[in-house]
Amino acid sequence: MENYFGGFIREKREKLRVDNRKYSLRQVASRIGIEPSYLSKIERGEQKHLSEEKIVALANDLHEDPDVLLALSGKVSKDIQEVIRKRPKLFAKLIRDLKDLPDQAVLKIVREVRDGKW
Amino acid sequence: MIELINDELVFTFPKVHPEAKFSISFQRTLRIPDDGLDYPLPPGLGEFPMKHVDDYADKIPSLWIEHGGVMIPMYQSEAMWLSFDSGYLNEHETEYPFAIKIATGKINAVTGGEWSNSLNEKPQDYLVAPEQPWLDGYCVEKGFIRQFVAMPLGSGYSAEEQITGKQEHGGMQIMVFPMKKEIFEKRFPKIERKRVDEDVCYMQAAPCESAAPDMGLAPGGRMRQEIYDDPFDFNDWDTENMSRSFVHISNSLVWRAITDELPPNVPLTAKEYDRYGLPWFDYYDENAVAVEGSQRLDKLKSIIQMGKEKGENPLPENTSVSAKNIVELKSKLKKDQVREGSF
Repeated sequence: MENYFGGFIREKREKLRVDNRKYSLRQVASRIGIEPSYLSKIERGEQKHLSEEKIVALANDLHEDPDVLLALSGKVSKDIQEVIRKRPKLFAKLIRDLKDLPDQAVLKIVREVRDGKW
Repeated sequence: MIELINDELVFTFPKVHPEAKFSISFQRTLRIPDDGLDYPLPPGLGEFPMKHVDDYADKIPSLWIEHGGVMIPMYQSEAMWLSFDSGYLNEHETEYPFAIKIATGKINAVTGGEWSNSLNEKPQDYLVAPEQPWLDGYCVEKGFIRQFVAMPLGSGYSAEEQITGKQEHGGMQIMVFPMKKEIFEKRFPKIERKRVDEDVCYMQAAPCESAAPDMGLAPGGRMRQEIYDDPFDFNDWDTENMSRSFVHISNSLVWRAITDELPPNVPLTAKEYDRYGLPWFDYYDENAVAVEGSQRLDKLKSIIQMGKEKGENPLPENTSVSAKNIVELKSKLKKDQVREGSF
């Protein structure tokens, strides 16, 4: 899982770098506050630890969804952990029940603006 | 599907195209004088707060629950404009196109016709984004609109009441149709990006619980604004996959009683804004063609005209202003352009 995280980061960063040099390894690492060599190791899967704060900063820098990067790194954001901690049985059941639903069905559970009878 | 995100209505069409995303924000603004003169575009003064009606079911009219949708607060005689954004798609070097129908009190704001759930080609009863970046009012004449101004439903001023003689619906109705996927892919294919040189710079008031909440929109002062002709083929629109929302307008004086939240402050008057020399705007698109105005809408009485007939003074402040500080905005230069008042 975490090796995939590194590969995903590298792929996204390199894609952005094609058009813009500010997405070089050195510049991205500098913006999120880590050493370039450390980011390089993360991308190659040689280093696995990156804090939630740094992952969110990296996601924002690469225009990716922080929750997606956190999930790829095997982490769950603190706010979601807090939600689950309050009602662990209920949310564990909810997530298991939803796991096989198609995206469209899950999207319906996300809050939509309801249309009615005009 | 439609979501309410950060006070904007966000329309997505995952069945049509993953990039088909469109948002509408409701901008607070100055009410331009209703004095027979033609004004440039007023600024945006921030977004109206927006709530799901379902969250306040026990405090709002049951009809609002039947309609579904969302609600915003507006003071009597406050104006608004709609800002459209479909987001730039780098790989296609364009924004995803949408056809948008806008009505107030179920009266179409482009044609003055009564509401229907379909698109009409002749006369064109919709707007096209991204060509149309915003809409400030009713299309009364080619190149001119009359500003959307909130008036209490039942007072006789709204476009709905003037045209139908009834006060049934109020609020605003919005319907969005995406371009068909295959048409979009054909018209705007993905573009292979070339690697660029390294040195290229990329800096490119106290709540009054007894007041009736329902507001309608009425025609205010005249403004220079073109409603653009559809540059695509009518059959390009995916009429099988539309989304629509009813936007109810609550009198700001009862907003707090409904939501326990304060409505925004009363906006600046045009006179106050102009006194400080703050900017007004004009928008040009040299390549776009404007639609003819609606004779039906042009026959509507403006709020001041109607007030005179009724012997009322519906607009407490209506002083003409000079609006000399005009910023010109051109199409296709959106990144550097912001239609906002700064003060």
